[in-house]
Amino acid sequence: MLRRLLNGIHFPLFFSVVALAAIGILFIYSASYRDPGDYEVKQVFWILVGLAVLVGVPFIGYRPFLSVSYPFYVLTIILLVLVDFFGSKVLGAQRWLMLGPIAIQPSEFAKVGALLAGVNFLGSHHPWEGQTKTVSIALLLLAIPLFLIIKQPDLGTALLFIPMSVVILFLWGVRKRFLVACFSALALAAPLAWGFLKAYQKKRLMVFLNPNLDPLGSGYTALQSKIAVGSGGFWGKGYLGGTQTQLHFVPEHHTDFIFCVIGEELGFLGSLLVLCLYGFLFHSIFLVMQHTTDVKAKMLCGGVLALLFSHVMINIGMTIGLMPIAGVPLPLISYGGSSFIMTCICLGLVLSVYKERSIF
Amino acid sequence: MFTRFHFFQASVFIVLTLLGLGLFQTQVVRGSYYYELSKRNRIRLIPLEAPRGRVFDQKERLLAANRSSYNVIAIPEDITPEAYPRLAKLLEIPEREVRRRMSAGREYPFAPAVIMEDIPQELAFQIEERRPELPGVSVRVEGVRYYPYGETASHVIGYIGTINRRESEDMDHDRFGANSKIGRAGIERAFDDSLRGWRGGQQIEVDARGQMVRVLSDRKPEAGSDIMLTLDLEFQKKIMDLIKGLHASIAVLDLETDGLLAMASAPAYDPNIFVSPSASEQRLQVLKDENSPMLDRGINAAYPPGSIFKLVTALAGLDLGKITPETRFRCTGSFQLTPKSKPARCWLHEGHGNLNLYEAIERSCNVYFFNVAKRLTPDEIAHYAHELGLGEPLKLEISRMAPGLIPDSAWKKARFNQPWYQGETLNMAIGQGYMLVTPFEILRLTSIIAKNGKVVEPHLIVQDRTFMPETPRVAIREENLDVIKRAMLQVVESDYGTGQLARVDFDKLAGKTGTAQAPPLQAHSWMTGFFPYKDPKIAFVVFVEHGGSGGITSARLVKQMLEMWKDLHAPPVT
Repeated sequence: MLRRLLNGIHFPLFFSVVALAAIGILFIYSASYRDPGDYEVKQVFWILVGLAVLVGVPFIGYRPFLSVSYPFYVLTIILLVLVDFFGSKVLGAQRWLMLGPIAIQPSEFAKVGALLAGVNFLGSHHPWEGQTKTVSIALLLLAIPLFLIIKQPDLGTALLFIPMSVVILFLWGVRKRFLVACFSALALAAPLAWGFLKAYQKKRLMVFLNPNLDPLGSGYTALQSKIAVGSGGFWGKGYLGGTQTQLHFVPEHHTDFIFCVIGEELGFLGSLLVLCLYGFLFHSIFLVMQHTTDVKAKMLCGGVLALLFSHVMINIGMTIGLMPIAGVPLPLISYGGSSFIMTCICLGLVLSVYKERSIF
Repeated sequence: MFTRFHFFQASVFIVLTLLGLGLFQTQVVRGSYYYELSKRNRIRLIPLEAPRGRVFDQKERLLAANRSSYNVIAIPEDITPEAYPRLAKLLEIPEREVRRRMSAGREYPFAPAVIMEDIPQELAFQIEERRPELPGVSVRVEGVRYYPYGETASHVIGYIGTINRRESEDMDHDRFGANSKIGRAGIERAFDDSLRGWRGGQQIEVDARGQMVRVLSDRKPEAGSDIMLTLDLEFQKKIMDLIKGLHASIAVLDLETDGLLAMASAPAYDPNIFVSPSASEQRLQVLKDENSPMLDRGINAAYPPGSIFKLVTALAGLDLGKITPETRFRCTGSFQLTPKSKPARCWLHEGHGNLNLYEAIERSCNVYFFNVAKRLTPDEIAHYAHELGLGEPLKLEISRMAPGLIPDSAWKKARFNQPWYQGETLNMAIGQGYMLVTPFEILRLTSIIAKNGKVVEPHLIVQDRTFMPETPRVAIREENLDVIKRAMLQVVESDYGTGQLARVDFDKLAGKTGTAQAPPLQAHSWMTGFFPYKDPKIAFVVFVEHGGSGGITSARLVKQMLEMWKDLHAPPVT
């Protein structure tokens, strides 16, 4: 049974997931062992659920996911609209929807919903016939959830949408001039989106562009996280030995800012290890992509890769001042059930693509 | 072949490498720099509140200003256990209290907590001297609001208070911190946004004892804007003295600018007690006081207008052509709608005899207006009341209450599910019954009459008058307003007039008194008017809660008020 279950699993990918999750547990513990909450124990539970999902999804296969992508997409849109009306407010943003005891974050689902719907739609149309119409509809499909997420406002998630959309369009075979047009449209829409942002978000972006603007508010977090990562040096201060993060200089250090703990305690070597693991994970996905001839599968894997990649870029980038501060978790490492399981579903789809790979 | 797939793959790994280089730069190249910063681990953020904008009267006299206050703050992470009892002893509060204040909600780690505000200077010096034994504790000089004239214009200026936790979460943190003050009433509340400046702050480096070593970065707070009011402080003060001890309100409007020269309500409160944390006793007293000193009786309380409303009934009759100024009715002291109905009485039981409209207003005859009411529907009267601003919201900057109540048949139907009875029209015509108005609505009504029908909106902030739009007019014929003005002149200047006690010897006054029944207590006393009759400069309303007859209590106040105004404002006689 177990053999059957593991048969066709892409082991390098599976290995990188487990390794990253293990690093996650270690550093969630380090970040929060002085606080109540037992986050690492809860995370172990989520990881077990997540791994089950990771292994289980290939059994369903990715095609059923694609065939229900439109209803699922509509559902995520409805959830996003609902969260606008009934969502509970956390730190000024309307992101969570309470369903009894369970809090769900519709924007997490919307990422996958939009990815599946976009892939399914584009994959069902040939890039050489009526491209203008196809691309317009696909863009609309992707823009609706994007608009709703910006409105919440969840700037981080919105930022993740753009590379994902670009990658699936690119892999589908969109003409270069469409891409250029899209980027110009985006540049034109940016001032409009500016109006939707809350004061604190505008400030974060302004501070990103000019850190001296606000040494107090958001500049403070940016500086403190940079100090945390930088002070790790080459070797790090040793596990549980971080001073910046342990003393709460950096907020949210078991979720969004967990990389500060890793960078501080394991130094550049630890950062490099994490980066290499992600690189290995991405490499595995590329390998899976190479082995499929199905356009939809290829786009799906590409989209998943783009999503994870942008998570990593934004999350690590913001701790060292290369990116604006945005509430984006570090996939597979940050504390949080929704994020971990969504990532596992995505990677499960990649695994199922591998399982159904064409044998030459 | 280099496909799109390869392009994608290459981009991902190139960007990943760049990220690795970024980490190398931060952790290895600049690692020791950040390590030093983190080892000292001593960067503290001290928010600096912006000085609040000041409030001036029309002659630039300060009504609300800032004085400096010594506040004891402490950074809980820097404090050592021995410091608690020392600090508690110095501040003369229990140690438990020091700990409680230390752990009160803060904006971020290492943010200073406010332990005690506004301590005496000697104590501040004492603490500064003993700083070596009080790690993490410091004294900061900050601006604190103060109102130099206390009660004088308390209802206009209002007061400020500390924001609560929930409010602070929703606000822009550049403007509001966990302990920021916010306007709670009056001008302080209405103009909070412009009075409030932008917070600044300092990033400071401290040593192991929590003492500041140097300022790393500094952003100066930006002070809020000042505000200039139309009030005349001298006049306001005198008027407050005039109504001291009463439950009363007086408002005087400059008819040239539509700005309020005085706006007084008594009893009043000292807004300073809301600023000083040590005055909690007094605060509680004021809030619990049965005389409601917090209530602005000019704009936030509504009363029956009594006979003042006869001006509206008269205008409705005239403008609808139901009466002329020469229409005469006989007053025998009582009036019956039908032979069977209960007689309604005139306040002068022996009757006024045969009167025309001028005489009826001059003597405030009820029976005359009962007769006018017989020719009008309640909805017609209500229409004219609304046209003259009664029951309409005020545009006054600090006004918050819904306007008074002008009843009509639809209202009665909705409220009681009953038809309107004609007997109620009689009551309505003389400003009794369900009707309620605020003194300021009466002030606006009088001002509109004084300005021959130009719409008037009293205001408190000095306005730039160069861009004033053309003011609209009320839909009432000017000749009818003239009739009312002449009748109001007679109220004061005729020897039969109900307002003759208000007569002054330096010019002619036009007014109207009101005595609104408020059983079981004494009636409310009203008088409103404009002065001088020819080319009016001011309009006013005087209201005394349960003050008795309008022609006595209020008229006397009006006379004194006019004499004060003359001393301060009238051009010197040449």
